Amino acid sequence: MGEQALHALKAVTEEFSAGEHVAIIGPSGSGKSTLLNILGCLDKPSRGQYFFDGRAIEALDPDELAQLRLNEIGFIFQSFHLVPRMDAISNIELPMMLAGIARTERLERAREALESVGLGDRVGHRPAELSGGEKQRVAIARAISMQPRLLLADEPTGNLDTRSGVQILGLLESLNQQGITLAVVTHDPEVARRAERILEMRDGEIVRRISAAEVSDANPIFDRGRGSARP
Amino acid sequence: MSAEDTFRFAITALLQQPRRAGLSVLGVVIGVVAVIFLTALGEGARLYVTEQFQTLGTDVIVVIPGKTETTGMMPGFTGTPNDLTLDDAEALLRRIPEAIRIAPISMGNETVSYQNKSRQVVVLGTTPEFFELRGIPIARGTGLPEGDIDRGANVAILGMETAKELFAEENPVGKSIRIGEWRIRVIGVNGPRGTHLGQNLDQVSLVPVATGMRMFNRTSLFRIMIQLRPGSDVDEVKQKIEAVILDRHHEVDVTCMTPDSVVESLSSIVATLTLVLVGIAAISLSVAGIGIMNVMLVAVSERRAEIGLLKAIGATHRQVLLVFLMESLLISTAGALVGLGIGYATIYLVTWMYPAMPAEAPLWAVVSVLGLSVVAGVFFGVLPARRAMRLDPIIALASKG
Repeated sequence: MGEQALHALKAVTEEFSAGEHVAIIGPSGSGKSTLLNILGCLDKPSRGQYFFDGRAIEALDPDELAQLRLNEIGFIFQSFHLVPRMDAISNIELPMMLAGIARTERLERAREALESVGLGDRVGHRPAELSGGEKQRVAIARAISMQPRLLLADEPTGNLDTRSGVQILGLLESLNQQGITLAVVTHDPEVARRAERILEMRDGEIVRRISAAEVSDANPIFDRGRGSARP
Repeated sequence: MSAEDTFRFAITALLQQPRRAGLSVLGVVIGVVAVIFLTALGEGARLYVTEQFQTLGTDVIVVIPGKTETTGMMPGFTGTPNDLTLDDAEALLRRIPEAIRIAPISMGNETVSYQNKSRQVVVLGTTPEFFELRGIPIARGTGLPEGDIDRGANVAILGMETAKELFAEENPVGKSIRIGEWRIRVIGVNGPRGTHLGQNLDQVSLVPVATGMRMFNRTSLFRIMIQLRPGSDVDEVKQKIEAVILDRHHEVDVTCMTPDSVVESLSSIVATLTLVLVGIAAISLSVAGIGIMNVMLVAVSERRAEIGLLKAIGATHRQVLLVFLMESLLISTAGALVGLGIGYATIYLVTWMYPAMPAEAPLWAVVSVLGLSVVAGVFFGVLPARRAMRLDPIIALASKG
């Protein structure tokens, strides 16, 4: 995948404004995950530049990138990526633990984050004891525990039933409304439709930029492979 | 990430696979127990012998027939040295001003019997000085007769245990016993002295030295013990002894042993054994360390997704490295501590079951085995931890788990 990543993106020139809600769509292999990894400072472009808040990412060393991810970026994954042996509150504590925040403050903030995603009663539950939707909510609580400015979600509803998916999207939107920039990679037109702006990718390029207002039956999100419903 | 958090994180990770962690801890435990227990036995032996010689006093020289240096063998196994005789003993007492007491000794094994009871015992032929030199009290009757050492009377002093077995409640003093073919009159009974220099003095029978030599048909003494005036220069006296022997035998065919020299040569034997032990310890700890490394490599590959997550949410290389190093360090430290506990318990058990067997783990062994375990934990943890540190977060996140 590392090898592929070199070629996964071609010429992408895009600007994301603070507080925006952007969906990135496109078929598998179109480069949307690579774009998300670059946005999340997990990957550096082999050519070209990425500026995060005015800082050129290429110039940063791995530790500075880690710091940036820790303080500015929250990640939400399709498969949640909760540490199975740790209960909900400990999973949420993880980024704060890396940041060296004292335990008492950490616990307090983790509890608040858990309450804000509506799971105040699941503090001591381990991932195996939670439903898919609950797991994703814990993951969101973890992602926001360091109060990031950018939230990146890779297929956040991909492993969820419709009802849970809708709840998760509502949660992400409310976070966006609180000022967090949100970028969501998705296959799902329903998920994409909720964004302010949709970027459609194909073969490593952004082939279409649509605003949510422009989406209609006459102008569907996916003009080919229609009905590419959730996996 | 604070040290406490690293510790907490590592320990929950280890406890997730308790059997696996336990087995790798066990590897360390076995090595540590072996080191602690074996060094305890070695140290115990050293302390025991040192103590025995110390009770003898540092101002004692033992003259043994035969020369160590010439053949490189134990004295007594050398060719055919001249006999070490009672005349030699008397000459030594006469010509060495520092000698205040001299105890020639002849020794043999003989059956001692009284009425229908008999017992095989060590019979020591010696002089009254021997009792003072070895600190043997007389419980009943008198000691060996003073006077001309060439005249061996047919009398004996029984060790208290021998006396009890042959005479039970009866008073042995004045009774006639047989030692081998010899008719001997009991004139005294030892008080308790216990085992000293490898000989249970409560079980021996003591007779005058000339009697002993006749009894065992010996022309040479077993050894001569010489007590020196306090503060004498032991090496100087040794030379004087050798000069006397040279004068009488025309060669120096005896070996002079001092408690110091015995303790010294024993210490060098123990030191060699210790080196061997340290080697074995290093090997067993390396094996245990490789076990740790193996377990940690498995853990790293199983927890790729977790490592990817940690990196994605902002863990630095150093933090990932430390978490995994902490895990291997915990395994080795737990092994060292448990091993120490079991080692001490074993020592306790052994000394409780065999009180005569001295065992005491030396501090250096405890400290170095703890240190080595920690070093092994870190050393063998580096490779897996670095592997975790270098994982590409994007690839790692894509793994199952």
